[in-house]
Amino acid sequence: MQRQDSNDRIQTVSADTFDESILRGVGPIVVEFMSYSCAHCRVLEPNIQRVAEMVGPEEKIFRVNIATDQELAGAYAIEGTPTLIMFLNGEVVGRDEGPGPSVSNILSVVRQPYGS
Amino acid sequence: MQAKQEIAPILLFNDECGVCRSIAHWVQKSLQPGTGEAGLKVRPIGEDPAELRSLNPRLDIWDAYGTIHLLMPDGSMRLGGVAVAEVLRRLPNTRWFSGIFGLTLFGFRPFQTVLNLAYAVLADIRPIFGCESCGTPSPWVRPLRWIVKTVSSIFGKGQPKIAGPHFTAFSPSIRAQQVNSTSSVRD
Repeated sequence: MQRQDSNDRIQTVSADTFDESILRGVGPIVVEFMSYSCAHCRVLEPNIQRVAEMVGPEEKIFRVNIATDQELAGAYAIEGTPTLIMFLNGEVVGRDEGPGPSVSNILSVVRQPYGS
Repeated sequence: MQAKQEIAPILLFNDECGVCRSIAHWVQKSLQPGTGEAGLKVRPIGEDPAELRSLNPRLDIWDAYGTIHLLMPDGSMRLGGVAVAEVLRRLPNTRWFSGIFGLTLFGFRPFQTVLNLAYAVLADIRPIFGCESCGTPSPWVRPLRWIVKTVSSIFGKGQPKIAGPHFTAFSPSIRAQQVNSTSSVRD
């Protein structure tokens, strides 16, 4: 698992670490399927960082770079970026493609499936 | 982390963007054979933030995709129109006129300002000419995009390359939902 830099609150997971971090993870976990060259992901980035800061350890947020992890993108039928998939105790419980980039939009997408 | 010692500036380009690829190809072709490597190196931005930071510790991959970056051997970075001017200075075919960008009149660089503006306009209209990853065009570009799309369809050339379909546009509505079918994918 890699971190982009010290200001990056979102951990990057790869096919190698996905099972351990996400599928065997406990509690709510959000995974953003993205790529760095995607302009929409760039718009979303500062706000998803803000959401990660707001939810803290309550809900973990990870990213999967579909440009380097195409296998995972295929497994979760990712047709566009950004796509957020919500997991609860390793099970998929929600999904949103291309959410509006505002902090409140992302926050409600992140929390909606868990009813918090 | 120390920046890698490079003898030539490195021009980073967005390899997911058709316009950027064409320009990068033109720059590469314009470099003199044999001396090109000493004058300028051209490379795609790629998808590895750590690798980019090894070129310059201050370089953020999101910024690199946001605007053109030229990494100088002294560790500085030139961006946008300033980077374009430096690239033109280093190409044999354009070196002769690139001096005008450094021309100062009353403490103002008029030609550099025009170049900065031209770069900003080109960056905005890339979706019209085939940028697969540039996202939603700026509001002022949308009418132009519509015209290009309409003209292309009238003359039977089909859809121009506008913001590739594999990138999702933002939708204002939120539709988080139970996706039981997806959960079975990993089983």
